[in-house]
Amino acid sequence: MTPSSVLLNLALSFAGLSALCLAMDRHHRAIFHGAPSRKRARALRWTGWCGIAVSFAAAIITADWNFGPVQWLGSLTGAALLVVGLVSYRPGWVRPAAVLALPLAAVAAFLA
Amino acid sequence: MAWLHTWAGLVTGWVMFCVFVTGTATYYRTDISQWMRPELRAAAVEPGLAAERGAAYLKVHAPKAVSWFVSVPQEDRPLIGVYWLDSFEAPIQQAMLDAETGAPTTVRATHGGDFLYRFHYELQIMPVLGRWIVGASALILLVALVSGIVTHRRIFSDFFTFRRDRSAQRGWLDAHNVTGVLALPFHLMITYTGIVTLAFTLMPWGVASAYRGDELRFFVEAGQSPAWQAATGRPAEALPLAPLMGRAQAEVSEPLEMVIVNNPGDAASTVVAVFEEPKGLAHRHPQIVFDAVSGAVINRLGTLKPAAHVFTSFLGLHEAHFAGPALRVLFFLCGVMGSATIATGHVLWSVARAPKPGTAAGFGLRLVRGLNLGTILGLPIGIAAFFLANRLLPVALDQRATWEGGVFFAAWGGAAILGLLRPHDRTWREMGTAAALLFLAIPLVSAVTTDRGFDFVGFDAAMIAIGFALAWGARKVSRYRGSARARPAAASKSLARA
Amino acid sequence: MPDEAALRNPGRGLGWRVRAMVAGRVVLATFGGYAIAALSTAFLSLALPMVRSEAVATATLLSFAVMVGAVVWVFSARTLGRAALGLAIPGILLGGGLWLAMTFVETVSPA
Repeated sequence: MTPSSVLLNLALSFAGLSALCLAMDRHHRAIFHGAPSRKRARALRWTGWCGIAVSFAAAIITADWNFGPVQWLGSLTGAALLVVGLVSYRPGWVRPAAVLALPLAAVAAFLA
Repeated sequence: MAWLHTWAGLVTGWVMFCVFVTGTATYYRTDISQWMRPELRAAAVEPGLAAERGAAYLKVHAPKAVSWFVSVPQEDRPLIGVYWLDSFEAPIQQAMLDAETGAPTTVRATHGGDFLYRFHYELQIMPVLGRWIVGASALILLVALVSGIVTHRRIFSDFFTFRRDRSAQRGWLDAHNVTGVLALPFHLMITYTGIVTLAFTLMPWGVASAYRGDELRFFVEAGQSPAWQAATGRPAEALPLAPLMGRAQAEVSEPLEMVIVNNPGDAASTVVAVFEEPKGLAHRHPQIVFDAVSGAVINRLGTLKPAAHVFTSFLGLHEAHFAGPALRVLFFLCGVMGSATIATGHVLWSVARAPKPGTAAGFGLRLVRGLNLGTILGLPIGIAAFFLANRLLPVALDQRATWEGGVFFAAWGGAAILGLLRPHDRTWREMGTAAALLFLAIPLVSAVTTDRGFDFVGFDAAMIAIGFALAWGARKVSRYRGSARARPAAASKSLARA
Repeated sequence: MPDEAALRNPGRGLGWRVRAMVAGRVVLATFGGYAIAALSTAFLSLALPMVRSEAVATATLLSFAVMVGAVVWVFSARTLGRAALGLAIPGILLGGGLWLAMTFVETVSPA
């Protein structure tokens, strides 16, 4: 449950949740000025859920079954708060932030 | 269900807001305690020696006690804590000793973070009434949580939705939903586990039926407590503690946390070495029990059976002792969100029932508004005053710890009374600003009155952040309170549109 | 609560009957819910096929979910009468079971 493993979880959860958020009509419209096509929405949803699943796996690997689930849930909450904050106050930042989260996750994975 | 959620939430919210805020603060209880004893510097003392010094003090001051407890110096509280019970019914007494000399410490008397911790689960109303109020409120909160989930039909589609540009009511409802739903696993977990910490106070009927009320016997059979041996009445010389602790530590990998001496001075006296919790969720302490006179090992407490393990895991989850620094920040954040869920719910309740322009607010609404103000801003004001008092009260003041608590309640009470008397809209901004200023003052006053330099920069930074957050929040509330009517949709810009 | 909603006269505000029913549900949920939880705890502590300390721990852990469930039932039942019945029947069963268990299961006398 080191800081780098928590950061890894946060980054992965953030990427996944942003994708899920963008898959929704309302939020996609707010950021890209148009509803997503069905294919795009589906792709985003798949990416999103995969991100969350990878985050769960990372939590179990770095923090074992005792603390992993707790850490994963905590990271989901923190990441979700960040997504809501960005979507409400700086919607233009959501996509770059989600993209940046991936190399950040890689760095954190290396450190963990 | 919506009715149930609204009223269960309203009734329990004022108490639970206080429980959540002080509980969230308790995640950093040891940091707060360190900040509140700035004269204290860490000292490395061998735990066995510390135990002996504690026992020596207790032998002089509490020779007839039925139990002694010596809490060895911790990294965050480098003092020897000694506690004793004159009888099972008597209240527990305590003293803090200097780790190196064993004499009562000259560090400023304060309860430190323990004051907020004890407020969190018993509202400083002892012995059991406070716990009953907290426990009952938590049960009602659980009802409010469940009914809230059932009522929130758009829980998934509105997951990320926070509409700031619509009506005030819409904005507050979204804020309430977001803070409630995003941290929902935490809210459910913390409420249920919190109730479990008070389980045997609230629901003693299992022990009553299966053990005929003998609660100690239950804890013994569950492997959580050593059996009690009655005193024989014959005095006997006990062995020195340090070698016993050395033997105990050789068997256990966790550091020693506390030494308990039962029936000190008696032939049947026992010494219990209690160790810190091992890695894992379960809140259990390995213990080794010695006969105090012969030094033989009587009992070892370690692994637990499944249900007991689950039970102690619930306690462990609630206290989160296992959390490293990063995870602790996340828990703190979740606690803040829980407090925000309650606060936004209460503000929403009063905004949704705002009287039409021209008519006056009825008694019920005025009462709720006053209580909202008194709780949501009053409690932070009390806490800030508590911290300021720690720095400003003279170090040698008699009953200093009680004075600090007195300042806490007086500041809170004063704020609450003002909230009930003054015109509502203005008071949010004024009192919010006052609260913010009080928090911002804490690092300044601390810098002037103590000489620890940058040792407490984390705590100071947190105080500043809280100050700004309060100022921002109070501004939000005061701005919306005036115009409860919906703003035209045309006025909103690029942000969330349904 | 279904029946109170039906009884309410639009435009006339809440009559005393509606208030009484709501109060009735609150009282029933509070005392009845706690009673069911207490009875189930006492009964399960004796009846669960585990070591005694385990049974008490399990029963106590579950009791709070039982209470919340009872409260939610009281407020979602269609009428106050049904709500009361929905608590009374399990209550009588649990009470009977508890009496049987206390007669036939060994309990410890206080030391």
